This record gives sequence, C-alpha cells and structure tokens, in this order.
Amino acid sequence: MSQPQNHAQRSDLFLLDEERTTWHDETLWFVRQKRDRAVYATPEFQELRQLASDIKDHTLSRLAEYLEQFEDAALANGVRVHWAADAAEHNRIVLGIVRQAGASRVVKSKSMLTEECHLNPHLLAHGVEVIDSDLGERIIQLRDEAPSHVVLPAIHLKKEDVGETFWQHLGTEKGLTDPQQLTEAARQHLRAKFLAAEVAISGVNFAIAETGSVVVCTNEGNADLAIGLARVHIACMGMEKLLPRLSDLAVFTRLLTRSATGQPITTYTSHFTKPLPGRELHVVIVDNGRSQQLGRPDFRASLKCIRCGACMNTCPVYRRSGGHSYDFTIPGPIGAILSPNIDMRKHASLPFASTLCGSCTDVCPVKIDIHTQLYKWRQVLGAEGMLPASKKYSMKLLSRVLARPALFKAGGAAARLGLRFVPHALSHAPGYNPWAIARELPAPPKQSFRDWHAAQAATPAPTV
Amino acid sequence: MSTAREKMLAAVRASQPGALPLPTVPLFDGEASVEKFIALLESIGAQAIQLPHLSQLAATVARCYPNERRVASDLLPATVAVAATTPAATLATIDLAVLRGAFGVAENGSIWLPEAAMLHRALPTVAQHLAIVLDQHALVATMHQAYARLNGQPGGYGTFLAGPSKTADIEQSLVIGAHGARSLLVLLH
Amino acid sequence: MKVALFVPCYVDQFYPQVAIASLQLLAKLGVAAAFPKQQTCCGQPMANSGCEQDAKPVYHHFVDTFQDYDYVVGPAGSCVYHVRQHFDIIDQTPAVQHVRTATVELFDFITQVLGVTEIPGRYPHKVGLHLSCHGQRGLHQANESEMTPVRDGQLRRLLAGLDGLELTELDRNDECCGFGGTFCVSEAGISARMGQDRVADHLRHGTQVLTGGDMSCLMHLEGIVRRRQLPLRVLHAAEILNGALA
Repeated sequence: MSQPQNHAQRSDLFLLDEERTTWHDETLWFVRQKRDRAVYATPEFQELRQLASDIKDHTLSRLAEYLEQFEDAALANGVRVHWAADAAEHNRIVLGIVRQAGASRVVKSKSMLTEECHLNPHLLAHGVEVIDSDLGERIIQLRDEAPSHVVLPAIHLKKEDVGETFWQHLGTEKGLTDPQQLTEAARQHLRAKFLAAEVAISGVNFAIAETGSVVVCTNEGNADLAIGLARVHIACMGMEKLLPRLSDLAVFTRLLTRSATGQPITTYTSHFTKPLPGRELHVVIVDNGRSQQLGRPDFRASLKCIRCGACMNTCPVYRRSGGHSYDFTIPGPIGAILSPNIDMRKHASLPFASTLCGSCTDVCPVKIDIHTQLYKWRQVLGAEGMLPASKKYSMKLLSRVLARPALFKAGGAAARLGLRFVPHALSHAPGYNPWAIARELPAPPKQSFRDWHAAQAATPAPTV
Repeated sequence: MSTAREKMLAAVRASQPGALPLPTVPLFDGEASVEKFIALLESIGAQAIQLPHLSQLAATVARCYPNERRVASDLLPATVAVAATTPAATLATIDLAVLRGAFGVAENGSIWLPEAAMLHRALPTVAQHLAIVLDQHALVATMHQAYARLNGQPGGYGTFLAGPSKTADIEQSLVIGAHGARSLLVLLH
Repeated sequence: MKVALFVPCYVDQFYPQVAIASLQLLAKLGVAAAFPKQQTCCGQPMANSGCEQDAKPVYHHFVDTFQDYDYVVGPAGSCVYHVRQHFDIIDQTPAVQHVRTATVELFDFITQVLGVTEIPGRYPHKVGLHLSCHGQRGLHQANESEMTPVRDGQLRRLLAGLDGLELTELDRNDECCGFGGTFCVSEAGISARMGQDRVADHLRHGTQVLTGGDMSCLMHLEGIVRRRQLPLRVLHAAEILNGALA
C-alpha cells in the first residue's frame, strides 16, 4: 500500500490487526468507565463543567489582559517571561535558554506543546540531549514514535512491545513483560538522567494570572523531581492555559483527572511561582495558531481544552483507529477540530473521522461543543473546496434529486429495481461499493412506501 | 519589549470576543471527616496511621521503616541533613523523608505540602519513601476550601500531594513508584 | 390537529414497512397522519458531507412541503434532529421556524404530544434496544451514560411495558453503531467494525430482536447481521409496537 493519505486509510492499517483493535478499544473503554464512576460519585460534576466552561469563556474573552496580568505577576516573582509567536520561535527561545545556562543535558516532562513545536528534534540537532521523563513519553521516544494520546502517550503499545524496546535500549532481560519490572527498569534508568540534568523543561496545565504561577499536574512525580534538582526550569505554555484566579484551580483540578483517568486528583498538583535564589524559572508563552483560532467564532471554544483526553477515551472511532491515524499532535475528536486551523488541506479528512455521535461533547469537562465543531469544519472544508471530488459532485447531484420529488421517485424506483436484478456479486463489489465490504445492502422491496400509500384506496388523510 | 510579545497581544486583541462574565464559584462543601480522608488515602495507594499522640512519631516511624537508614526530616532525629542547598548526589541517597503537611483534602486524599515544609524542593520526590505528618483537625472537604485556605498565596512552590508516585503507562496497569516516592504513609495526629 | 408523516428517503425506498407501521400505530392511537407525497429528504446526507450550501434547496423543499401541518412526525431521530438543529442556515421565516419546532420524532410525539406512556400489547421476545445517538444525545430521548448510570428513556419504557418483552442489558448501553451517514462509506472500515462490535454486544446478552427508533442505524446493523447470517431479527420499534397493539 502506498503512503496512506487520510484518516480512513490510516485506520484501515490499524484495523488489520483485529485482536489488537479489540484490545485498544477495550482498554480505552475501561478508562472511560473509570471516568464514569468518578463522575457519578461527584454530585456537582455537571455544575463544575458549566463553571469551568464559563471561566474559560471569560478568560478567552479577555485573554490579552490576562496575559499581561500574568506577565506582570510572574516578573515580580523573579520569573523570566518569553513570547513565541510560532513553533520555530519557541524552539529558538528554549535552545537559547539552554545555551545560556551552558547546559547539554535536559530532562523534559510531559508537554503536548513541545510535541506540537517539535522541540526535541530541534534540541538534538543542536547537540542538546533531551530525555522525556514521563514513562509513556520515554517509551515512545526510545521507539522514535509520536504520542498516540494526550494523557496515555504509549497506549497503542502492548507490554511485549515495551519489553522489546527496553531490551534494546535499556538492557533489560529479553522477553520481560511485567509492567512492574519494566517500570522499575525505567525508574533506575531515568534517575540517572534526573540527577544529571542541568535544565528541566515542563509543560503547563494551568497558569494563574493573579499570582503568576504555573501549575503542572503529573502522577509520576517526574516534573517535580526534575525541576527540584535542575538549576533552570523552562515551562512551555500555550497562551490559552490561563485562569484568572488561584481559586479557579479548585474547579479545574476537580474536573481534570476525574475526566481523564477517574482519579480524584493527580498525585502531584504542583504550583511553581518563584524560583529559588540562584535558580531560574522561564515561562515561554506560545501562540502558534492559537490567536487565529481565537478569531474563528465557531471554533474558538476549542481553546478551552484542558487536555484530559476524555474525548479520545469515549470516541468509538478513536478507540478503533488509534491515535496515529489522526497524524496530528493532538489526536481524537479535539485534535480533529484543532488541526484544520493549523493546516486545512493536510488535515481535511479529520472532521470526517466521526459519526457525530456527540459523546465527546458530553464528556468534555469544559463543555466544548466538539461534535458541532466537527460538523462546522466540514462546511468550511466544503466551502473551501477541500472535499474529495467524488463527494463534491455526488452531493450536488443528490441535492438536485432531493429537491425534485419526481426525480426522487424515479431515482428510488430505479435503485430498487437495480438492486433486485443486478447480481449480488456486482452490487456488492468492494471496489465500487464500500458499504458492501462488511455489510449486505438492504433487501429491496417491490414497492416504496409512497407507492404503497398511493395504492391505498382508503387513505384517511388528505394529501397535499 | 520583544516584537513577538506585541505581535501576539495585538493578534489576541484582534481575535478575542467581547467580554464575557467571570462566574462566582460556590464553595462546594462536603464531608471533611478523618474517616473519609483515610478511605481516600487508601484508595489512591497511600497508607494512614492515626497516632494517639505526636510524641510517638519517632517510634512509629522506626517501626514502620525498619530498613530505611538514611532519613531526612525536621520532625524527628534525622540521619541526613537536608537544606535548600543540599547537592543532588546527597539527596539521591535518601531512603525516607518525614515531612509535615499543612492540611488535607478529604474528597481526594491530597495534602498541601508547602515549600517551607520540604527542606529541599526535590526531597518529596527524590526520597525513596515519604511519610507526611498531618494534624487530623487540618482537613477540608473539597478543593474549593483548600484553595480558599491558600487565600491566593501559593508560596514559591507548593504541591497538593496525593499518594505515592504512580503510573499506568504500560497497558493501563497501575504501578506504584514511578519516579517519585515509592510509598506514602500519612501519620495523623 | 393536523399531522403529517415524514418518511425519510431511505425508509420510503428500502423500509416501507416501517413507514406503514408508523402510520398504523398513529392511527391506532387516534391520529390520522397525512403523507404529503412531495416530500423527499431532510438534506442531512449533503450537510454531513460538508455540502450544507447544496442542501439549502432541499431544506426549502422540506419546509414548503410541511409548513401547513401542526406536527411533522418522523420515525427517525437523526432526520428529525437535523431539521430541528441544522435548518438554521436558511432564512428563519415564520414557516421555517414553525417546521423546525413542529418536526418531532415518532416516539417523542407519542409520549410527549399524545401523552401516551404505555402501549398495551404482548411481545414475548428478548429485545435489544439500540439507542440512536441523535435521538439520545441530540433530542435527549434517553439518559446518557456520560451523565448517569441510570438507563432510562421513553422508548425503553414503551417497550418494557409490553407483556412478555424482556430487554437485554448491554455492556455498552449507548455506544454509537458506526453508521454516521456518509461516514459509513467514507470510513467504511471503522464503520463496519463499530457495527460488528455493537451486534456482538447484543448477541452476548441474548438479544433475539434488535430494535430502535432510527432505521438508519438499524439498516447498517442489519447489513452486518445479514452478511454474517447471525440469529438476530432487526425491526424498527414502530413495527414491534404496532404489531403488539391490537
């Protein structure tokens, strides 16, 4: 098969391994169920979602002011604030800080933003060793893969895959598959990296305008360990991560992990406000397309995302196609509404990688109308002429038929007649009819309803 | 001022919608009992002991950690002295840290650990095991009360710590002891 | 009360028995529904494909066809949802506004408008209810597992009220079947896999008759059932309720 071009083709590759697809689906459904139990046990959960949504809407509506307030507070705390309009500028700034520190060893905790900016290749190309310290991130870094989920970056891998990777790179025993032992091997391997690192890079879950703090949430403790040891901490944040007040964190910390994994809170919810004397805290504020998305009224709500991954866990498509099928840093439903803003043509198939079932919208802790935005992106793509030609012209034809009852009646009769008399092998040929790869077409009745109705002499109601 | 800053702020100003209201968040209350807090601690992989009196702290720690020799603490006789300037190589050898938590949150089992109580910012995560001493009257129900208690003052660094370090990054199998402390014992008094 | 039966295009052409059952069921409940024969489709296939602008003539045709009725009743949650939700891109004339609110899903009409919450009758089978996403999450016809563990909904209640009918409890009560309109061909692989998983959940729990309020989901699931020659009958809930009601 040539290089897959769209989500459907990449999904078909994933689906080839039926058993693995089942496993992937069931594993993520298990996470969704853990989320459900946590949600059901929190009576005010729906109220919290509304509050979170309102706080984010408010913050986005005054984002410039809050960015300035945050900067003022951070500067007063002795934090150095940097502004990056795009990924390249972000990478230049980070590399500059690393060089300024005279450092060559960097440990990085989880940050989807640095993935989005492709920071690692940039640092590596300039002679800086950068080690991802989150276990899942480290696994995929060793395998030279992209994360397939925002919270569970290695969820596409099985323990056998991890065992093989650790055997190759960390010298563990061949055939080791016990998660406990594999994790222990990673702990030993990464301890040395933590102790040696001169610079710690982290992402930012929330930034607080009133205090100038950045908040980082992890379960492993990798961010706190690295930051606590390294002389320089660089926190990379998308500009939409702001919250007005410290107390707003109550709403968001209660929602984040319950939505993500069903935990009541992450193990470490850490607030970095002031660097110690002799140490440095840098915050890099990144735009990279966010202000453009903010200017799209139908899509700006996508910037409310807190990266919990709940929409991925619940998405029946994501669970069966895997994160890599989206070919974008943020996969799943939220990725499908963020990606066209970045590159409409490249990601044109993603808004169509959904049945619009709406479950994503219903689990979203900040009430992003994800499935509505998917629908609206489809219209934008249609208007911009980015639909496949087959879809474009068949829909125009269909519209003409459906606006003309006589054509519709004749067309329907012809289709039913066709189905009844064309041999099954032809009507169900997979090359012509994707429906029929796994499904029978409906058995065509002799008579449509309208024919039946017309034939009823005693139709009680008048017709128009 | 950097040009990127001006460019970004101008782009945001041009894009942001008209101001929307900032909601007032109610102080959602709930149960703040020791029983609930302990149940939550246990559900997140921590253990809890209720001390009849704080004077029994050293003896209890000694009993619970018979093999941990390198202990850092400002609450009982320590074997390793730790301050903000202690080098990483020394920190790396610590078996156990015994620290005081400021208050606990019953809804999730987390404990606010301010920088002042950590001896070194890395100590709670670099120590192999962690014990937190907590006044059992210092419990709040939810994160709303917790942040109200911080009153807009999070300090230079502080964390809500909830249980031992953990990961489920390999096939969603829960493993305790990823990079931070392998265990968390909460000593309530 | 002037009521029109809105028969979605694929139901008209491929599942006339569903429209017949809907008409008869309404008649038994005292409603003589008309069938305006100018009707074609709600336009959803175009709109879901990103060709909303192409669908506008279809929307106008729909409004022209149904504007004189008090209610437009359709046995398909998805199409009804489309009319109510997505006809917002044409001029909101009084006729458009009226048709959008007057268009009601069959079981919403029976339970909410007619106030009929129980249908007497007998149906001694193990029935699996497939919730259509647009009916459930769009029209709020049933509880959602995203919100509550309580599985409830009006169609579930109507079916459970039949003598001898036993509802099967699924592992995933409200997972999408994977039809998704044109998704079923543009993402044929995932669509089929979702449908296969849905059918397997029903088989695992003893469903003999698979039913629902939306024939589009059922058309897809039936396609899988027939391809795999599985021991499941697929019927629209209107067929079951009409058959059971004397």
